[in-house]
Amino acid sequence: MPTFEDRNLDLIKWHTQYQKNQCEEAYEKMVSEGREYRAIIYEKKGRIAKISLNRPEKSNALNDALYCDLLAGLGEAARDDDVRVVVIKGAGRSFCAGHDLSSPPGDESPPIDPKYHPTVRDFFQFERRRCQKYEDIINCPKATIAQVHGYCIGAGEGIQASCDITIAAEDAQFGTRGFDRLTMGITAMGGTGAPHVWPGGSERYRAFRILPEISGEDAAELSLINKAVPADRLEEEVDRWAKALSLIPNERFAIAKESINSTLDITGLGNAFRNHYNIHLAIQFVRFRSDETNLYKTRRDKGLKGFVQTRSMHATPTLKDDSK
Amino acid sequence: MDYKNIKYEMRDRIGIITLNRSDRLNAINDVMIDELDDLLRKIETDLDAKVLIIKGAGKSFSAGQDLSGNVSSTIMASPPGTPGSAKELLEAQRRRSRRWEYIFNYPKPTIAQVHGHCIGAGCYLAMVCDLVIASEDALFGDPALRMGLTSAMPLWTWLVGDKKARELVFLGRNVNGREAEQIGLINMAVPASRLEQEAIRYAKAISICPGDGMVLCKESINANLEARGVGAAWRFLDDMQLINQQQPFGPCEFNFFEVRNKKGLEAALQERDKPFKDLGF
Repeated sequence: MPTFEDRNLDLIKWHTQYQKNQCEEAYEKMVSEGREYRAIIYEKKGRIAKISLNRPEKSNALNDALYCDLLAGLGEAARDDDVRVVVIKGAGRSFCAGHDLSSPPGDESPPIDPKYHPTVRDFFQFERRRCQKYEDIINCPKATIAQVHGYCIGAGEGIQASCDITIAAEDAQFGTRGFDRLTMGITAMGGTGAPHVWPGGSERYRAFRILPEISGEDAAELSLINKAVPADRLEEEVDRWAKALSLIPNERFAIAKESINSTLDITGLGNAFRNHYNIHLAIQFVRFRSDETNLYKTRRDKGLKGFVQTRSMHATPTLKDDSK
Repeated sequence: MDYKNIKYEMRDRIGIITLNRSDRLNAINDVMIDELDDLLRKIETDLDAKVLIIKGAGKSFSAGQDLSGNVSSTIMASPPGTPGSAKELLEAQRRRSRRWEYIFNYPKPTIAQVHGHCIGAGCYLAMVCDLVIASEDALFGDPALRMGLTSAMPLWTWLVGDKKARELVFLGRNVNGREAEQIGLINMAVPASRLEQEAIRYAKAISICPGDGMVLCKESINANLEARGVGAAWRFLDDMQLINQQQPFGPCEFNFFEVRNKKGLEAALQERDKPFKDLGF
């Protein structure tokens, strides 16, 4: 039987080729290009690595560069034997405002622009790559903590959901805009923990199904996240959790995490992701009524700000006007 | 029926099982789990026992597996690194899981009446009961990972959802009765003084229902959970237990069993929990 010591990487290097996930791929690519992180800040203190999403002027909206760096950061942390815990947080006012809808067409981060008319075969492969990013975060062998403040919307909610632990400011705002969450495989699995394990009709299921946005405080009350604290205590609270998780050795933790991840698979996570592809595909064919907001048309006619303004009137009428 | 570590009595069609090792906070050793198994098999066919209450004598429901290392090779997974064939380790683990599954699928409604500690295997026992009614200050938790073991209970995800399951399993954090109710781990938390009477009230209400119909109701709910993968999860976690047992303790890893053998159980428990306690967990 191989002993723990044999697997100490100082003594033995892993020679076998294995399928790399997108985190490792992104990290290796970055190293081979000899470049530094562009869109995140990566800091390491002892056993804890911190990744700050760093596009504060865009509320850390995800474009390809940010996504690539986030994955690379996780890849670096996964490789680093000293690191036991990774904290993901956002620089500036928010954790993450979701996909950057101002990304140029052709970027893979936001849903594909309908004018590309991809074949269905290409579409599925493209979606698999997009969704695999979340699965790769879920499968990161280290403990992951999302430190959420401000907006945590759409894809941002997907990222926090893919982390092991989420600690949020009480006034953080979780949610999706413009879509029903249940149709989005990933948010369906995560925004809320694992709603598909909760019976339809239960309070938790309903809260997540109906409410377009909820506060950190409400999310914690419904066990959708682990804890909400006043914003000024967020950092300190996350450090406490990170330190506690960092007490568990990497090898032992990987086994425990694999066990819990397996139960998510069994409750249908993989299927939820496939459903996510299908819904994105189906969305390509949605017809809009004249009083509904079509992202691509409205963005063309009125610009992105105009779109956000129109959408907040149509999709979530109770919300404050975002454009202010 | 004469048992050493449990007691059984019938009261108004309610079968009351008392874990009775109060000097050890009802820590579950091989004798107790065997007796429990034996008793449950015997009263399975007793149509007068329409509902079961499981509770603990003394200060606690149950502090968990007996960690002293005496007479506990059946209930306890052997420590990581213990030599043994995969076949032996896996079969032993399956037997442990089958005991929980047996109670989970027991053909009578079961109520856990929980006060004080309800930790580790004690918590598993409560989780596999249909209803859990606890005192507000009861303590639930699963500290396996703190000792280099992994949680062998798949129901966490189904009962409390993904995030909370990770929190409780990874940190070994305890939650009190009130929080346990809030996260969906138990049905109801009541003041300690009302615990007994509430458990009896629930049991009486259940005992009024037709016993045969109740079995079918339970079957349909359990079939629902089975369809949502609980059965597959038991099996997967059995395999993960095997993997964990095959991984010896690392050079810098806290070795609970070595510390216990050298300094005694109390010292080992303190050493296990201190770094977490210092951080408020």
